[in-house]
Amino acid sequence: MDSDITESLYIVLPGDQVLRFNPEENRDRIFIGPGLRWQDNVVRATKPGMLKKNGKNLYFVDTHQKRYIPQKREFVIGIVLKKKGDNYVIDIGGSEYATISYLSFENASKKTRKEMKPGDLIYGQLLVANKDMEPELVCIDVYNRAVGMGTLPGDGIMFTIPLHIARMVVDPQNPFLLMMGKQINYTVVVGFNGRVWIKARTQREKVAIMNAFTMLELMPLEEAVDSIPMFFSGFSVHLREDM
Amino acid sequence: MSQHLCEIGYLSRSDGSSLYCIGGTVVLASVNGPGDVKASNRHYNRTQLDVCYSPSTGQSMIGERALESVISKTIEQAIIVHLHPRTAINVTLQEMQSDGLALSTSINAACLALLDAGVQMKSTFSAVTCCIASSGAIILEPTEAEIKESSAVVTFVFDGLEYNVLSAYQDGSLDSDTFNLCLIKCQLAAKDITAIFRKTIEDKHKFDKS
Repeated sequence: MDSDITESLYIVLPGDQVLRFNPEENRDRIFIGPGLRWQDNVVRATKPGMLKKNGKNLYFVDTHQKRYIPQKREFVIGIVLKKKGDNYVIDIGGSEYATISYLSFENASKKTRKEMKPGDLIYGQLLVANKDMEPELVCIDVYNRAVGMGTLPGDGIMFTIPLHIARMVVDPQNPFLLMMGKQINYTVVVGFNGRVWIKARTQREKVAIMNAFTMLELMPLEEAVDSIPMFFSGFSVHLREDM
Repeated sequence: MSQHLCEIGYLSRSDGSSLYCIGGTVVLASVNGPGDVKASNRHYNRTQLDVCYSPSTGQSMIGERALESVISKTIEQAIIVHLHPRTAINVTLQEMQSDGLALSTSINAACLALLDAGVQMKSTFSAVTCCIASSGAIILEPTEAEIKESSAVVTFVFDGLEYNVLSAYQDGSLDSDTFNLCLIKCQLAAKDITAIFRKTIEDKHKFDKS
């Protein structure tokens, strides 16, 4: 089987037995992803959702959730709350606030420090995300490049979507964002914490994009993608009426 | 057995919510968390679980506090509390319509809301109430009027794995044989409730690729 292909198996509820696995008997290894626990040689689900498996024997549960739980290396959109010494305190939607050092931006130094004020939005990556520690964000990669991260300009709009929708639209194979790009020009930033930041020419277009995202919650992906051209064409008619 | 109806995602702004109805009792449950908690309720190694129950009429009094503690002790057994230390999970239960089954409906609503929120749990749990009529017959999921006439009311909460008892709550007196009989009857009914949970969750994930 192709190792890149992820297959959906079935819906599990917490406590459901997924498979038996005894590391002393089974020679081939399995990987347990989020939503699964291994105890007494049995792998059980801990979250409700679709059990999925990829070709490398990685099992995980894809759940529909609204609350974000920070995970290392995930890209998130945060709201600057305040400055605390050499750090900024950022709300990323988790149970605790994250911090970011003013030095972890591209080309930042002690002299040319990054200035941000409360309410600013930043797009960063989680460097530390651990249940026992405060999450820490960075806006640079290992080569000190921004690669798209940093503060988001003030002329956009941010809204929240369920986490599974956020994970779904950032999939490179997902045609949703590209299909919208064929209709109107817009800029989009999707954080794994369910926050989406968009920038479009007019307020109307922003609202249309926001509504297009809510379509994903209410219908299958294919149907949502198919209805995008109709959705935006109906919308531009209104625009002309206004003019 | 009375008719069970439920709906999840009833509230748009909470992390998980459900509306559960058994016969004439309707409870709306909302779950928020794992979220921030004030320092006095913060535990270094586990999640703080807060349960708040409001009755459909009147103010929350000592009886409601007793109910809250039963619900909270039950939920605490099911959720995996050590995964998110220094956080709190808030479970808010609002009775919308009352017909004597507040405890079992609340627990089932709470379980469904926790499933909707995606809180990590060891297993699901389901509650069933039965009462002993003056004739000695066991009535599953009675109405308020039937409870008034009865000599005892028992509520059992079972886990979703082996249907072991997580908690049992009894009002009135009954002998051990009747108690065991009630237990077996409720256990059977609990299986149906777990099936309802499964169907509801499958319905929630109907757009997922299978």
